[in-house]
Amino acid sequence: MARFIVRRLIQMVLVMFSVSVLTFLIFNVIPNGDPAVRMAGKQPTETQIQAIREEWGFDEPLHVQYLTTMEKVFTGDLVSYTTQLDVVDQIVQGIPRTLSLAVGAAILWMLFAVALGLYSAMKAGRFADRFLTVLALIGISMPVFWLGALMNYYLGFKAGIFPNGGYVELTEDPIDWAYHLVMPWVALSVLFIGIYSRVLRSNVLDTMNEDYVRTARAKGLSERRILVRHVLRNSLIPIVTLWGLDFGLVVGGGAILTETVFDLEGVGQFAADAIGQLDVPPVLAITMFVAFFVVLLNAIVDILYAVLDPRVRLQ
Amino acid sequence: MATRDASDFDFEGAAAFEEQAQRERVAGLGPWRVALRRLRRNRVALAFLVIFILLVAAALAAPIWENVAGRGPLANNLSGKVTLDGEEANVVSLDGIPIGPTWQSEYLMGADSNGRDIMVRLLYGGRSSLLIGLSAALLTTLLSIALGTLAGFFRGVVDAMIRFTLDVIWAFPVILLGVALGTALSLGGLQVGPVEISGDSKLIPILIIGFVYIPYMARPIRGQVLSMREKEFVEAARAQGMGPLRTIVSEILPNLSSTIVVFFPIMVANAILLEAALSFLGAGVRPPEPSWGNMIDSGVDRIVTAPHQAIVPGVMLVLTVLSLNVFGDGVRDAFDPRAKVRVDH
Amino acid sequence: MPKFIRMFLVGVIALVAAVGVAACGDDDDEGGGGGAAGGSITIAQTSQPDFLDPALSYTVNGWEPMWLVYTPPVTYRRAEGEEGTELIPGVAEELPEVSDDGRTYTFTIREGLEYSDGTRVKASDFEHTIKRVLNLESGASFFYETIEGATEYIEAGEAEGDISGIETNDRTGEVTIRLTERSGQFINVLGMNFAGIVPGDTPFRNLTNDPPLGVGPYQITESVPNREFVMERNENFDIPDIPKGNIDTITTRIVKSAERQTQDVIRGELDFMQDPPPADLLPEVRSKYSDRYEEHETVSTYYFFLNVRTPPFDKKEVRDAVNYATDSTALARLFGGRLEPSCNFLPSTLLGFEAIEPCPFGDPAGEPDIERARQLIEDAGAAGASVTAYTNNDENRPEIGQYLTDMLNEIGLDAELEAVDGGVYFQTIGNEKTGAQIGFLNWYMDFPHPGNFLFLVDSESIQPTNNQNIGNVSDPELDELIDTVNSGPATDDAVQEAAAEADRILVENSYVVPYGTETVSTFMSERMDFENCSLFHPVYQNDYSSFCLKEE
Repeated sequence: MARFIVRRLIQMVLVMFSVSVLTFLIFNVIPNGDPAVRMAGKQPTETQIQAIREEWGFDEPLHVQYLTTMEKVFTGDLVSYTTQLDVVDQIVQGIPRTLSLAVGAAILWMLFAVALGLYSAMKAGRFADRFLTVLALIGISMPVFWLGALMNYYLGFKAGIFPNGGYVELTEDPIDWAYHLVMPWVALSVLFIGIYSRVLRSNVLDTMNEDYVRTARAKGLSERRILVRHVLRNSLIPIVTLWGLDFGLVVGGGAILTETVFDLEGVGQFAADAIGQLDVPPVLAITMFVAFFVVLLNAIVDILYAVLDPRVRLQ
Repeated sequence: MATRDASDFDFEGAAAFEEQAQRERVAGLGPWRVALRRLRRNRVALAFLVIFILLVAAALAAPIWENVAGRGPLANNLSGKVTLDGEEANVVSLDGIPIGPTWQSEYLMGADSNGRDIMVRLLYGGRSSLLIGLSAALLTTLLSIALGTLAGFFRGVVDAMIRFTLDVIWAFPVILLGVALGTALSLGGLQVGPVEISGDSKLIPILIIGFVYIPYMARPIRGQVLSMREKEFVEAARAQGMGPLRTIVSEILPNLSSTIVVFFPIMVANAILLEAALSFLGAGVRPPEPSWGNMIDSGVDRIVTAPHQAIVPGVMLVLTVLSLNVFGDGVRDAFDPRAKVRVDH
Repeated sequence: MPKFIRMFLVGVIALVAAVGVAACGDDDDEGGGGGAAGGSITIAQTSQPDFLDPALSYTVNGWEPMWLVYTPPVTYRRAEGEEGTELIPGVAEELPEVSDDGRTYTFTIREGLEYSDGTRVKASDFEHTIKRVLNLESGASFFYETIEGATEYIEAGEAEGDISGIETNDRTGEVTIRLTERSGQFINVLGMNFAGIVPGDTPFRNLTNDPPLGVGPYQITESVPNREFVMERNENFDIPDIPKGNIDTITTRIVKSAERQTQDVIRGELDFMQDPPPADLLPEVRSKYSDRYEEHETVSTYYFFLNVRTPPFDKKEVRDAVNYATDSTALARLFGGRLEPSCNFLPSTLLGFEAIEPCPFGDPAGEPDIERARQLIEDAGAAGASVTAYTNNDENRPEIGQYLTDMLNEIGLDAELEAVDGGVYFQTIGNEKTGAQIGFLNWYMDFPHPGNFLFLVDSESIQPTNNQNIGNVSDPELDELIDTVNSGPATDDAVQEAAAEADRILVENSYVVPYGTETVSTFMSERMDFENCSLFHPVYQNDYSSFCLKEE
């Protein structure tokens, strides 16, 4: 057991290291042009450009540059040159917003996915199933930014049912907080409800054919009990794995689009704005942190599973 | 089908479905023929395949429509006028509001803020989006096959290294990576040794999207190859003295083909969506060249006064991706109604 | 049931964590509701001002607040239109005395003048203020380099060094400034926010997070970058002719979305927005809320630069063609109608402006002459010439660039668009190596003197990097006129005549392709008294000190 955890942690560290190297290459090395000039933002003076060059070590050999960059990222010594603001501060300000969005959406999609997936499985092959499948597929096919923009306009601006974007702090007014997040939650979860309901559906179909379910049925257990005690439990396992991993992806991907459309000013929007202005320090930091978060989450999920299911450890 | 009573907990539908599938397997037909039969019976999937083909045809026919509409995708017409119901109307009002769908040959789907014809741009944009989507999916498929097969077949160190690489790629938030790369590369272009790719080139989004989705497909392929390796036909091949390359080519790849066929439409759908997302954020195809994503982007700015500008390309996008997804779903059902092949981690 | 519970627990833990972190979000305590009479309002800007430091701030976002917090030796009358361009004494007792050779300026600091915290204002504070501008490499330091010893001060690199051209006497309050050459604009330069006096111990660094003390109707009491900053009335302020401000507390919030700002002002959740409503919402605002919305012409010019040194725009005929083909009303649509077409380069509200009539390229508000343009290009042998047009990513600039590129293609050139990020745009086109041939440009007046616009086409402004005369315009006749313009204040007849003549030569030779002047807006919530309390100043635009709430 301990060996497994150690192995898994070492692997995690190695992946993180590679991620950091890759991020460094992407932002500082690959793009053409003088990185110091790019970072310096609007109308920089020669002194400022030179100062940035020294600060980041652009004249130094690559591995020294890499170490300097990593040091800056991890000690939080990063300043956005366009706004002159501390990057880590801004990220920290954005985290509660992004998490509010991501977690709320995740819970929403889980509930609906389970409900719809189950119902679909039970009516497999029939109209209800086909209909829900098409709905799910439409959900998967809809770009979240388009859906969000339309919802924002029609339900927010025109109909006035929901507020027109923006974020209210949870501490200020929990009801208003949730009220402002309903549309973003729905927009973000539609895609995932589509995916997960179908995965659940096929899992349920699989499980229902297992021998032990047939046995249970033969023994005369009520359908309801079979469903809950056996089928559902086992169908949910792969979903939970996916859920854990996709949560990381949501934070990294869907969040950017949703936050931008609804003006939530979380980490995702911060990243999008920074990229738009070619503001390297925030994007560097955010990419690294999100990637790390995903790797960490993966490792935790794996370890948790290994703890609870011995068969996994042997892999 | 016989009617059922309205009890919520009704397994008969599922069980019957299962039995049908079982029967077909037992009948002993080859997997491709069985699949084709099932597919042919799936009217919905076929219908959407037709829709997709029509959409591709429309995109290819863009120059024809350009003739009909009388202007190209880049032609501005800010001060122009168009005749509607016998009256002359501004293509773009003095406030900057573009005209909505006219349902005529000129400005069929309306104009955008620069007075350009949305229908023409839609079709040309479709070319970009489809080209990028298909090429990226192809790139992903080829690389996934290569990596997945090598990892699954050779196992050991090769497998560990490939799995590690996939983990690293998978760790990156897809959109963030895509946008960052897209923006960075479109600035100065890409220089890999002697090869230089301009920042505007479509090759850049193709490379980024193709690269980013590799783990999505490579992992399941690896899983399949791993399990195939244990099977007798591989043992037999090795016993015959076939080298690993020949084994892979003649035994493993053909058996992967069903997996690949199942995955491909979905990969294209995902690639098209990612391209739209990147263009929406300004990191994909750049204006004035049209792509559905950047058309939606400029449309969102005008959603109050000219909602058609955002709705039309969005609907087109959804329709295309949906048709790929429904057809892809049908293909998956055809090959394996119990959906054994799914995204494994 | 371990697995089911496990899933449930993971979900619960995540939710609790999220709620916990969300609750740790900043406690936004709104500073509002100050004293009794004035009331407090909230206004919005779409982006953080570049700086909240008077020595550095060089954008409208920054100047609107800076103007109210820091007063320079001279300033402008708080009035609309031409009256607002009149210079009045600020922290100086009277307008400076200028020597006959135009190189020496003398003024005295008002007696008993105090900063917002009660400290006395000293004459030597002025030299320190200018030192900060030079030492911090402000974008405006170039304006103050005509002061004798300024360049030496910069080169010496010592923050506390001395500027030989500025002499101050704290006892008498007298300040004497010596210039290296006569400058008609210097009096205006003395009226810029950069010369807004700050205490002699103000540190030599960017003080955006903690702005320095100043003399003005308001003071900045709180600054949270990228979120908001708060201005409160300065009770110690008392300078004749400069109003004291009605509102007690003005909170400026940074709200990135102009759409939401507009809706908030409509609903009364916001009292004023600094930027105009986006084009998408303008029709609604114009029609439904005209009782609290007004548009004002600014002193600005929007134009395309043409690189007269490189083909194809080195030929006059080709440049003329672009002028013939430019459709100002088409471009006005890209501004949501907020553009006044113009034939001139100088804005119509600038002293020295004289409308060029008839416009050599046709009525700017009329139709363009594409045929003529095509013919000119063909005759000049420039058909098919390769052109890269430049624009940036801000606001409507991409659409303007797309219009330009299409138009150039229509008249027979082979044009492509290059859209550069706003943050590096000026560096890019201002760099000789880029070799930009044509592209988007605009200029907002720094101060009401035609020289402030004409330096953009002065051959002496040309430099290899950070070039502002991007077209490399170099016409000896024009240069001579510009020298005359720079020789005296804007009120001089000779200066105005020379400016009008220079404008004419510019346009007739198609050295630039001007197409209009932007209008911006004042849009207020219902509770503000729009009719009586809104002043739009020609130099500083919306004057917050004029704002007041309606009587209950």
